[in-house]
Amino acid sequence: MLVKTTGLPVRLAGVSCAHGGRTVVRAVSLDVPAGHRVALTGTNGSGKTTLLRAVLGLHRACDGVVEVGARQARTAADWTRRRREIAWIPQRQAAGRFPLLVDELLASSGAVDRAREAARELGVGDLGRQPVHTLSGGQLQRAYLARAIGCVEAGAGVLLADEPTAALDFAGQTAVAELLTSLPVTVVVVTHDRAVAARCERVLEMAAGSLREIT
Amino acid sequence: MIQLLELAAVQRAAFALLLGAVALPIVGVVIIGLDIMPVRFAMMHIALLGIAIGLLTGLDPLLCAVVACGLSGAGLAPLARSPSGLSGAMGLLMSLAIAAALLVLSISGVNASAAFELLWGSILATRTGDVVLLGVLAVAVPALFLWRRKQLALLLHDRELAACSGVPVNRLTLVLLVLVAVAIAGAIRLTGALLVDALTLLPALAARRLAQSLTGMALWAVGIGVVVNLAGFVLALLLDQPPGPVLVLLAGAVALAAHFLPERRNTAWQSASSH
Repeated sequence: MLVKTTGLPVRLAGVSCAHGGRTVVRAVSLDVPAGHRVALTGTNGSGKTTLLRAVLGLHRACDGVVEVGARQARTAADWTRRRREIAWIPQRQAAGRFPLLVDELLASSGAVDRAREAARELGVGDLGRQPVHTLSGGQLQRAYLARAIGCVEAGAGVLLADEPTAALDFAGQTAVAELLTSLPVTVVVVTHDRAVAARCERVLEMAAGSLREIT
Repeated sequence: MIQLLELAAVQRAAFALLLGAVALPIVGVVIIGLDIMPVRFAMMHIALLGIAIGLLTGLDPLLCAVVACGLSGAGLAPLARSPSGLSGAMGLLMSLAIAAALLVLSISGVNASAAFELLWGSILATRTGDVVLLGVLAVAVPALFLWRRKQLALLLHDRELAACSGVPVNRLTLVLLVLVAVAIAGAIRLTGALLVDALTLLPALAARRLAQSLTGMALWAVGIGVVVNLAGFVLALLLDQPPGPVLVLLAGAVALAAHFLPERRNTAWQSASSH
């Protein structure tokens, strides 16, 4: 499945985001060429999660330019397209207010067969009929990862992953890091995990809303 | 008993209850899913405003109530974007609606108790128009549910996940809120405003405890709704008591019983019912 697509370029220029009147992302600019892998590190509360959410249009109080595949999103249709172009692994995988079956979660990727296959590879293949709120943190993270792989199969060209290995054991972290970085897409991953960062071409540190290059 | 069942009003009431039992528990599931429990109080007050406008203008008061509820449901939809937006807005809406209703009643010179009377609906006073409205809901609500259940499951689970999975969250929320509002306005006639819970929320609350998925919840809720409504109605006739309170108490007892069932058994039931 490698080299099916090289992914989409992601460009941020002067992106600032506010959270309840407080600026949490300050004039961030970042150019990620198609197919490149970037790791974002930094202390808690430095704005990493908000930055990823801004790309998806989930955090609306933002200024600046965000382009995915050299396109900005302005209309509702643009945002729908943007969200289809991106496979997202949220930081807090919602246990949810309401029951959702793992199978339904996998189907939401748009490529249910590939997502189920990925779930089997990740060791959560037999949990399909279980509601997600009964899963352990690690199982839930793997289920979301399988969903993201389904999204890529369905045509997403970018993977935005927010601490995708935080709930995993050491062996799991290495395996998932390998899997994530071998996807044929552009990857921007928020992580504190060295196994993930080591597999990225660039590692950037975010501090108090600003971004600086480490490697 | 048999003689009672031969009365046209009793037959119509039983039929209306059956229709309500198909549509309203699913609406209850949506209410719990959207976390808008206060909606029924807000809609009750808005229905009163609609009735007042109807009395003032000479239009059918209950039609006005349904339209007013539908419009306010649509008006609330944009607030659903923030997690606490809906519940907060309901409280405000409730106060504004009751104030406006009292003002309109005062302007129209109608005795307020005449308007309130329409809110204490009675099953045996069900009219053909009510049955038609419930009939439409009994078809529309399950149809919408079946058609969009995957999107609904995602939306009610997590709005952002749904938005990132191609679900038109704003449009779907709008449709749901209008449906909830109209359904409550319709249900008010059946049991009265205070007893709407028996038909909507209580079966859904019991179902939430018994089921593990959205589809399971909807099936359980409708099942419980049908059984409770028919059993409660017959019980009320036998006891010669008003059906509304009897229905609520029965539905409440079922909801309570569901909460006291041990968790393990629920799981076994669920796996048995899902295969």
